[in-house]
Amino acid sequence: MHATLINAAVIGYIAATGLALAYLVQRHDLVHRLSVLAALAGWAVHTVALIVRSLELGGPPLRSLPEAISVAVWVIVLLQVLLEQRTGVRVLGAFVMPIVVMLSLKATSARPGALTPALAGAWVWVHIALAMVGIAAFVFNFAGAIMYLLQERQLKTKRPGAFYYRLPSLETLDRLTFRTLALGFPFLTTGLVLGLLWARAAWGSTFTFDPLAFFSFLAWVVYAGTLAGRAIAGWHGRRAAYFSIVGFAALVLTLGAGLFLPGRHGS
Amino acid sequence: MPLFVAGLSHRNAPVALREQLAVEEDKLRELLHDLQASDVLREVVVLSTCNRVEVYGVAEAPGEARALAFRHLCRHRGIDLATVEPMLYTHLEADAVRHAFRVSSSLDSMMIGEPQILGQVKDAFALAQACEVVGPHLHPLFSQAFNVAKRVRTETEIARHAVSVSFAAVELAKKIFDGLGGRAVLLVGAGKMSELAAKHLVEQGAYPIYVANRTWARAQELARALSGTAVPWDELPTALASVDIVVTSTGATEPVVTRGMVTRVMHGRRGRPLFFIDIAVPRDVEAGVDGLDDVYRYDIDDLKQVVDANLRERAREAQRAETLVEREVAKFLARQGDVEVIPTIVSLRERLEEIRQGEVRKTLARLPDASPETRAAIDALSTAMVNKILHAPITKLRESSRAGSSRSWLELVHELFGLGRRP
Repeated sequence: MHATLINAAVIGYIAATGLALAYLVQRHDLVHRLSVLAALAGWAVHTVALIVRSLELGGPPLRSLPEAISVAVWVIVLLQVLLEQRTGVRVLGAFVMPIVVMLSLKATSARPGALTPALAGAWVWVHIALAMVGIAAFVFNFAGAIMYLLQERQLKTKRPGAFYYRLPSLETLDRLTFRTLALGFPFLTTGLVLGLLWARAAWGSTFTFDPLAFFSFLAWVVYAGTLAGRAIAGWHGRRAAYFSIVGFAALVLTLGAGLFLPGRHGS
Repeated sequence: MPLFVAGLSHRNAPVALREQLAVEEDKLRELLHDLQASDVLREVVVLSTCNRVEVYGVAEAPGEARALAFRHLCRHRGIDLATVEPMLYTHLEADAVRHAFRVSSSLDSMMIGEPQILGQVKDAFALAQACEVVGPHLHPLFSQAFNVAKRVRTETEIARHAVSVSFAAVELAKKIFDGLGGRAVLLVGAGKMSELAAKHLVEQGAYPIYVANRTWARAQELARALSGTAVPWDELPTALASVDIVVTSTGATEPVVTRGMVTRVMHGRRGRPLFFIDIAVPRDVEAGVDGLDDVYRYDIDDLKQVVDANLRERAREAQRAETLVEREVAKFLARQGDVEVIPTIVSLRERLEEIRQGEVRKTLARLPDASPETRAAIDALSTAMVNKILHAPITKLRESSRAGSSRSWLELVHELFGLGRRP
C-alpha cells in the first residue's frame, strides 16, 4: 500500500520534472500549469503515503534514512510550489524538480533494512526531522547558486540566450541563495548537535567514525564557512555560489554514505 | 454578403506612396460617409497609418467597392488610381478575417510586436462606429480582433523584449538589479543618447541622477532637465563609488573610466554590482573592466547584439502567435457561419411547422370522433416527419457555413422552400 502510493507520487514528480524542463525550452503557460499540477498531485499522494506509513509504524515515518529522505522530498516539493508562487520565479521547478526525482528514486530504490534499535525515540526523530528541513533548504540554495552562475555567465559573455530571458535578476538569485543558506544552517546545526548528543547517550561516545556523520560534518563546515564569508567578508555572487555547490556535493555524499555504506545510520 | 479587406502596406508599397495616401481624421469621416452613401458598401472601416492604408468592408461586389474606395482616396490626394491599383491586395472572407487579426496583433507590422498598431485599429473602428458605418459583420470582426490582439500580447512574448538600444540597456539593468527603484545613475557626458537612456531609467524608478560633464554649464543644464545633481568632472572616481548604473557618452578619444579606477571603487562596494552602459564611440569605459567581478559593461556593439537576440526571440514568439491567430480565425468563422445560416434555419422550421399545423388541423376536423390518443399520435407523427425532413438540409447548411460556402446553399434553400428573398 505504502510502496504503491510512493511509486505513484514519484511518477507525478517525474511528470512534473519533464514538464518543468519543457517550460524552460518552450515557454507555454499551459506547460507550467501542468507541471505545477503534476507536482501537486504527486505531493497529495505522497502526503497520503506518509500518513499511511505513520499509522503502520505508530509514529513519524522517520525510522530509516530512505524514509527520512522521502519526508525531505515532501518538504521540498511543497516549498518549491510555494516559492514559485511567492517569488514569481517560474523556472524554479526546472532546477529543483530534477533533484526531487533523484532523491525520491534514491529513497525508493534503497529498501529500508532492519531498523537499528538505537534509532528510536523522540530525540532521534527531532534530529532527523531538523536535518531533513535543513537539506530541503540547501536544495534551494543549490538551485539558486546554479541559476546565479548561469545568469552571470550570460550577462558577462553578452550573448543573451534562453537563460537570460528565463531567469530573474542576479540580485534576486543571490538573495535566494543567501536566504536559503541562512534558513538551512540553523536546522542543520541543531540536527547535528542532537545527533552527537544522541550518539553519546546511545553508544557512550560522541565521536566514533560513521560515514554519514563524517560527510554531514564536512557539509556543515562548508556551509558555516560560506555563511561566515557572507556575513563577515562580504562574500556574495559567484564565490558564494561555488561554495553552495561544494556544500551540496558534501550533502549528496552524506546521503549516499548513509544509504550505501555500513554505519550507525543503518542500511 | 462577402467580407473583404483591400489596401496596401509597407510590404509592397513604397513609403512615398503610403505617406501620400494616408488620410487625416476629418477627411476620413467624409470618406466613410461618401462610401456608405454610394450603396456599394454595406459596412466599412478605413485604417490609415504611416505603414498601411486599408479598407475593411462588406459588399456584394468587393471589386467594385475596392475601386470606389481607392478612387475616393486617390482623388482626395490627387494621385492617379492607376499607380496605386497594381499594389493593392484584396483578401476575402476567411483571409480577410485572418488579415484583420494579424494586423491588430502586430504580426503584420514592420516591427513585429510594436504596440501602436492596436491603438490605431481601435481608433479606425471607433471612427467608423461614430459615423455609423459598421454593423453586424464588422462589429464582431473588430471586437474579436481586439481580443485576439490582447491574447497574443499576454500569451506570447512578441512585444516583450526591447528592440531599441536604450530599452535593451534598461532590460539588462533589470537582469542585474532586482528592480530599478532607488538605483543611483551617473551620466558621464551629456549627449542626447545618454539623456534618452537616463529618461528610460528614471521612468523605471531610478533615483537619484548625477551628471558629470567636462563643461560644467552643460552638466548643470542636463541635471536640471532630469531633476538630478551636477557633479564636478574631477569627482568622477568618487561618484562611481556610490552609483549603480553609469551611462557614458562623452566625445573623449581616450577612455574616461579606467580599469584601475573601477578596481579601486569595487573594493568599497561590498559586492554591489556596477553596470556600465557605454554608448560612446570611441568607447569611454576600458574593456578591461569586464574581468572584474560584479562589473557589467555593455558598449554600443554589445547592446546591438542584445537587440538582435531580442529580435530573434520575438520572431520565435511570432510563430506561436501565428498558430494562436489561426485557431482564433477558425473559431470566429465557425461562430460567424452559424450566425449567417441561423435566420434561414429558423424560417425553414417556422415554414414547415406552419404547414404541419395547418394539415393536422384539417385532418382532425375531418375526424371528429378521434380519441385523444389518436389526436396525439397524429400530432407526434407529423412532428417526427418534419424533423426527419429538416435534419439533412439543416446539417448541410451548418456544414456549408463552416466551409465558407453557405451563400449558394442559402439561396437554394430559400428558393426550394419558398422562404422569400433572403435578408
